[in-house]
Order: sequence, then C-alpha cells, then structure tokens
Amino acid sequence: MAVLEVQNLTYTYAAGSPFEKQAVHAVSFCTRPGELLGIIGHTGSGKSTLVQHLNGLLRPTEGKVLLDGEDIWEKPKEIRRVRFRVGMVFQYPEYQLFEDTIYKDIAFGPRNMGLDEAEIDRRVRLAAGYVGLPEELLDKSPFDLSGGEKRRAAIAGVMAMEPDILVLDEPTAGLDPRGRERVLSLIEDYRARSGATVLLVSHSMEDIARVADRVLVMDQGTVAMLDTVQGVFSRADQLQAMGLTVPAVTQIMLYLREQGVDVGTDVYTVSQAVERLLPLLGGDAGC
Amino acid sequence: MLTDITIGQYFPGRSLLHRLDPRMKLLLTLLYMVAVFLPRNWYGLAAAAGFLLAAVLLSRLPLRLIWRSVKPILFLVLFTSVLNIFYVTGGTTLVHWGFLRVTTQGLITAAFLSARIICLIIGSSLLTYTTTPTALTDAIEAVLRPLKIIRINAHELAMMMTIALRFIPTLMEETHKIMSAQKARGADMESGGLLRRIKALIPVIIPLFISSFRRAYDLAMAMECRCYRGGEGRTRMKRLRTAGRDWLTLTVMLALMIGLFLLNQLGSVLA
Repeated sequence: MAVLEVQNLTYTYAAGSPFEKQAVHAVSFCTRPGELLGIIGHTGSGKSTLVQHLNGLLRPTEGKVLLDGEDIWEKPKEIRRVRFRVGMVFQYPEYQLFEDTIYKDIAFGPRNMGLDEAEIDRRVRLAAGYVGLPEELLDKSPFDLSGGEKRRAAIAGVMAMEPDILVLDEPTAGLDPRGRERVLSLIEDYRARSGATVLLVSHSMEDIARVADRVLVMDQGTVAMLDTVQGVFSRADQLQAMGLTVPAVTQIMLYLREQGVDVGTDVYTVSQAVERLLPLLGGDAGC
Repeated sequence: MLTDITIGQYFPGRSLLHRLDPRMKLLLTLLYMVAVFLPRNWYGLAAAAGFLLAAVLLSRLPLRLIWRSVKPILFLVLFTSVLNIFYVTGGTTLVHWGFLRVTTQGLITAAFLSARIICLIIGSSLLTYTTTPTALTDAIEAVLRPLKIIRINAHELAMMMTIALRFIPTLMEETHKIMSAQKARGADMESGGLLRRIKALIPVIIPLFISSFRRAYDLAMAMECRCYRGGEGRTRMKRLRTAGRDWLTLTVMLALMIGLFLLNQLGSVLA
C-alpha cells in the first residue's frame, strides 16, 4: 500500500518574471491507504497545480512530495518510475488519444514501462474490462468511438499501468448524466478491485459526496479543510465564502429545516434524502 | 513554461510611438529603411542614427529590449564586416598577409555597413515593439488594399494572419497539456538520440493536429453563424484614423530625408 505525503509544498509560476504568481502555498497532507480523497476548490484555487506535483510533472518551488516516505525528486532521472506508480488522468483525457487503435493506445503506458507483450496484453484487456469497453472496440480507431467511450478508453490507458495511486482531474467534466454515472462507478470499481488509493478532483459536490471518503478543500492555494464528507459539507457557510456550495440535496434539506420541517441536514446524496424524507411523508421505502 | 512566451514583441506603453496610426508607422518604418541607405558620409549616418536614438527615447522602451533585438543579428553584422574588411581595398594598407590585405578603406566600409544594419534592425523592431499584432495586421490590410486590382484579397490575408496570431498561445497551451498527459503515461521526451526524440513527439503531434482541425472547424462554424462574408462591406469596431501627430511625424521623417540628401552634398563639397 503506497502512501503519498505532501509536505509544505509551494509552487510559483514564472518565478522571477513580472508574471510571477504563487499558485500553491505551503500545502501539507497525507493520503490514507486505499481511501478515495476528493479535492474541491474554486476555479484558480490551485487544485490542478497541486495534483500535477503528485506524479512529478511539476517540481515544487519549495517543499516535498513523498511516496512511501521517499522524496520523489531524490533521483530526478528516475521520475518516470514515480509516474508509473502515481497514475494521472488529466481533464478531457480523450484529447490525448493518438494511436490508430484503442488497444495500442491503452498499451502506450504499459509499453513505456518496458513490460513484455504477454503482460501488456493482460493489462490492456483488464483495463478495458474495468472501464467497460467491449473487446470488439479494442481494434477500432479512437475516432469511431463516442465521446464517453473515448473518455473511458483514455482512463483505461492510465489504469493499465496499474498505479498504486490514481489521480483524476475532473474525470466527469462535459459528460451527460449517464456518462458521469458510468465514469464514477468505474472509478469505484477500479478502487475496489485493485485496492488503489484514488484522488479525485471535481467541481461537482454531488460526485464528491457520492464517492469520497474524505475531502480536501483548496482555497487560494492553501488547504482550507481536510475532513470527512460529513465534516466538510456540514460547514455550508464556510464553503459558500470560498465560492463553493454543498450538494443540491443538502441545500434542499437546509431549506426545509429553515421552513420548520424537522429533518436532519447531514444528508449529502439523493438516496440518503429518500431515507430521511419518506418516513416524514408517511410512506415507507417500499412504495 | 511555454505559456509565458509573449507573442510578437509588443511591449505595452502609451508613448507617442505607441499612439501613432499603425499605417503611418508602417510607412515611417519603410521610409526610415530608405533613409538609412541615403547617407554617403559619416555626417549623414550620424544624423540617421541620432534620429533613431531620439525615436527610441521617445518610445520609452527599456533599453535591454532594444539590445535583445540587435543580439540575434550580431553574427550577421560580424560576418559582413569580415567580408568587407578583406574585399574592399583602398587607402593605406595596414596588414598584408598572403593574399589577404586589410586596408583603411576596408575597415571604414565595414564599420559604415555595420552601423547601417544595426540602425535598420532597431528601426524595424521599434515598429513591432510599439504596435500590437492586431493593429499591425490592420495596417497591412489597409496598405495592401490597392492590390485588389491584381486579385489579391488583402482582407483575407490579414484575417488569416490575425487568426494565426490569435491561436499561437492557445496551441502552446494545448501542446503543454498533451505533453503532460503523455509524460504521465511514461512518455520519455528528454532522453535518447535525435531519432528517438522525434519519435517521442508523435504522441504529442498527432493529438495536436487533430485538435487544431477541430478548432478550425469550430471557428469556421462560429464565424459563419455570425454571418462572416469576407471583407466586402464590412465595418470595423476600431477604425484607423490619422491624427495631427501622424502628419507631424511624417513631416519630421521627410525633413530627415531631405537633410540627409543635403548632408551628402555637403560631404562632396568638403571632400
């Protein structure tokens, strides 16, 4: 089980030029093995900059990133090995597809790892299975796929490296509700089957509430909160001040409470809301 | 970072040079290029250089910017100087070494030509430093408009230039993103020989090409949705207008050229 630790990380863009900007300031946190850590924050709060440090795409201006206690920049020449262990799925990953078949594209990562053909084949098929791409699609060109399928193929390309830690930056952005649902459940699936730690950056509070164990809230380049889903979403006022919201269903509960309805407000998903509201309406979960 | 590269060389400011009509600036630059080749003696060249110095000071650009524009052509200056030193003969011979001869006339010619080239470069970079790329394309469009007679569509050329300039930063950012994504999958772009490095670029170039085409389609569609029909009958938001200062600077430039012409006469009288 790999543990990722960020110590006092600071990153400054374009240091020393008039465009200098500190994107991340003195951030520290530690992942727990096998957890799903959600990362939320307003646009420009430094989420994307932060996650790009986790696999060594950016080098901290100050501070350290430790993977199992070792500084990932100890040997800069071997940074690629860190990238195989900390998989990173970017925003709109379907734009990175470049091979003439889906199979070859998913195999790009494993091939860069220097694995033998049999192992590559095993991983490609396994990863395609994780994301629900049927065998017959593997020999197709990326251009013959739908948007959602392309997105899933690109995610499979990272999963095929079998990283211990999987980082996803807005994996559901721009997808329709069914596509979102599908991507979220495949992330949960992958985590359940591989035991990997997952970090999920998202704008959608609903997505975070549904899948995360803990939530890290970024505000103006610093960590504003790091707590359980309940711990974070119970502080609706503070979130609002940072330009964030609580899930829509929590907002409904807060409103009902305000109107004098006796409901708990620690409700973050639709199914939780159903459980709470049905008894009040005199029905039972079976109706 | 790739995104930090500024496109064109425009350096924002509010000086007289920044505020001149870009068409006039284009014309002035062309006139100055001619002016630099007018002088036949040092008085004239000094006058032309002095004029340029005044323009640089007026523009209030940092001097290191001026130096940055001269630096890349220093090699060329050096190269032509060496050729001139050895090819031009006349005056007293200073060094005689085999078939090579360095004469005073050679040295003078070399220095004269170097000064000219440097003035030329500084003069034209003043244009790009003080004019935004869009203003410059507008000016080029205006200047090329008469070419309609020979069926060259100045508007389309200018539009293409504008679009190309507009998309450079976008594509830079895109390149950066795709490179990061492929690096995250273990692409190795920093090591290996030339051939390996070229091959390592394929995973970047292909997605970049695809997205450029996608952007081109989107842009064409968006332009059509806003009823773009080419330059015919099109009005502009920012119309170029010449003001008093434009004609004043043109007068000064013409005065300089006449002055240079007179200095040539003076030179031949003195000689």
